[in-house]
Amino acid sequence: MAEGIPVARVGEIGDDEAIVVSRATAGTVDDIAVVLSDGEYYAIDNTCTHEEASLAEGWIEAGTIECPLHGSAFCLRDGEVQGPPAPRGVAVHRVTVDGDEILLTPDPSRLA
Amino acid sequence: MSAPASVAIVGGGIAGVTTARELRGGGFDGSITVVEAGPACYDRPPLSKAAFVDGASLDSLRFATAEEFAAQRIEVVTGNRAIGLAAPGERDGRVTLDDGGTLEAAGIVLATGARARRPAFPGADLPAIGVLRDYADASRLRAAAHPGSTVLVVGAGFIGAELASGLLALGAGVVLADRNAVPGARVLGATLATQLHAMHAAHGVDVRIASVIGAEAADDRVLVRLDDGSTVTADAVVVGVGIEIDTSLAEAAGAEVDGGIVVDEAGRTSVPGIWAVGDATRRRLPGGDLAFGAGHWEAAVLDARGTASAILGGEPAARGASWFWSDRYGIHLEVVGRLVGDGEEVVRRAEPGRPAAVLRVADGRLVGAASIDDPNTVRAARRLIDQRVPVTTTALADPAVSLRDLLRAAR
Repeated sequence: MAEGIPVARVGEIGDDEAIVVSRATAGTVDDIAVVLSDGEYYAIDNTCTHEEASLAEGWIEAGTIECPLHGSAFCLRDGEVQGPPAPRGVAVHRVTVDGDEILLTPDPSRLA
Repeated sequence: MSAPASVAIVGGGIAGVTTARELRGGGFDGSITVVEAGPACYDRPPLSKAAFVDGASLDSLRFATAEEFAAQRIEVVTGNRAIGLAAPGERDGRVTLDDGGTLEAAGIVLATGARARRPAFPGADLPAIGVLRDYADASRLRAAAHPGSTVLVVGAGFIGAELASGLLALGAGVVLADRNAVPGARVLGATLATQLHAMHAAHGVDVRIASVIGAEAADDRVLVRLDDGSTVTADAVVVGVGIEIDTSLAEAAGAEVDGGIVVDEAGRTSVPGIWAVGDATRRRLPGGDLAFGAGHWEAAVLDARGTASAILGGEPAARGASWFWSDRYGIHLEVVGRLVGDGEEVVRRAEPGRPAAVLRVADGRLVGAASIDDPNTVRAARRLIDQRVPVTTTALADPAVSLRDLLRAAR
C-alpha cells in the first residue's frame, strides 16, 4: 500500500486550484495547500511568510502561487519566494497519486 | 557599458533593498552597500495597517536579518544619512554621510523615497500634530490612540483611511477631515470611492468635509479649527495630505530634477553612473512628458528590478498595468490599471453579502479593475489588461462569469 495521507481524489482539485489540508489532519505545524498546476500536484505550507494569509486562496499559474494579500509569488516545486514582501520561502511536501487517490507525505521537519 | 565594480544605494526602503537584492541575484559580484538614515531597512506599508494595530516590532518589519544580508554580501549601514553626493567620473562617486564618513562606489543608486508633506496651517508645529511616514511616527501615534482618546485624521487618502480604521480598532475616537466629499474619486472613480469612504461613518468615524485652518494647544490636547466652522479637540492629529520629494542629493551631483529625480525607463538619471528608483523619481515618458510617480509599493519594486537589470547591462522588462492594495476595516482592496478617464465603467454586482468589483473598459479592452475581498478578480484583470484580451461589458458585469475563465478562453 502506498504511503501518505489520502487528501483528495483525482478530479477533485481543478487545474490551477488548491485545497487546504488542516494541520490537524496532516499532523504538521502549518496547514498545507495541495495544488494542481499544469497537470502536476504540489503541496506547500499554506501560510504566507509575510502576513497571515492562506496561499491556497491565491492566484495559481504555471507552477507558482501568488499570495492573495500582497502578491508575493512562491515556486510550487521548491517553495522559494520569487519576490517581496514575503521574506522567505515556504516548506514543500511530497504528493503522490495512487490510482485516483492523492496522497500527501508531509516534510518530517514540519511535523507538529 | 560594463557593470560598475561597486554600487552604493542611498535609502533602505523597498526600492533600495530590492535593488541590492536584484543586483546580487542577477550575478553582480562587486560590493553592494545600502545606507539608510533610519534605524533599520524595513517595509512601510504595514505602518498604517495591521502592524499599526498590533504594535508590531521594528524587527518584524525588517526586510531581512543581518545574517541574511551578510549571506548575500550586502553591507547595510543604518542610522546614517547621506548629505552629499559627487558623481562618479574617472574616479568613483562619493556619498558623504552625516557622521562625517564617506562611501565610494562606481555606481550610485538614489532610493531616498519621499517624505510626508508637513501641514502649513497656524499651529501645525505643535507636538501633538504629526504625519505618518516611518516607524517612529507610527509608534508615537499609536501611543496616543486608546479608549477615551480622540485622534483627528486630516486627509482621507489611502494612509488616512487606513489609519482611521486602525485608530478605531485601538479604541480611539476618530475624526476624519477631508476637503473633498468623496476622497479618492480622482483615482478610484466615484462608485468605488463613495463605497469605501462610506465605511468610515458606518464604523463610527466622525467624518467632516473640511480643511484645517488652525490649531492651538488646549491643556494636554489640541483645539483644531476647521473651515466648515466646526472644531475638534484631539489628543493627537495626523496629517496625510501627500508627499514631497527631497531632490538635494541628485541636484548636488548635477542630475536633472523636476519635482522629483528625472529618470528614464531604466532609472538612469541625467548623470552617467547615477540611477534613481522608487518614490523619489519621476519617469520621462516616450513622448517627453514626465509621469507623476504613483508612490505605490509595487512600482518601487519594479523600478528596482529594472534598474538592477540595467546596471547589469540588460534591458528592463516591459511594465504592465500598475497594481496596489489597501487594507482597512477588515477588507482587502486591490486595484490594477486605471479606473478613471476614457472608457466605460462596469460594476460587477455584489453577490449576496459580497461587495462589488469595478472595472473600466475602453475600446473593447479592459484598462482597470478594483475588487474588495476578491483579489483573484484583480489578478485575472491584470493579465487581461496586459495581454490586451478583447472583453465585453456584458461578460464583465456578470458575476457568474469568472475573469479567469475569460483569460483561459483567450489562450
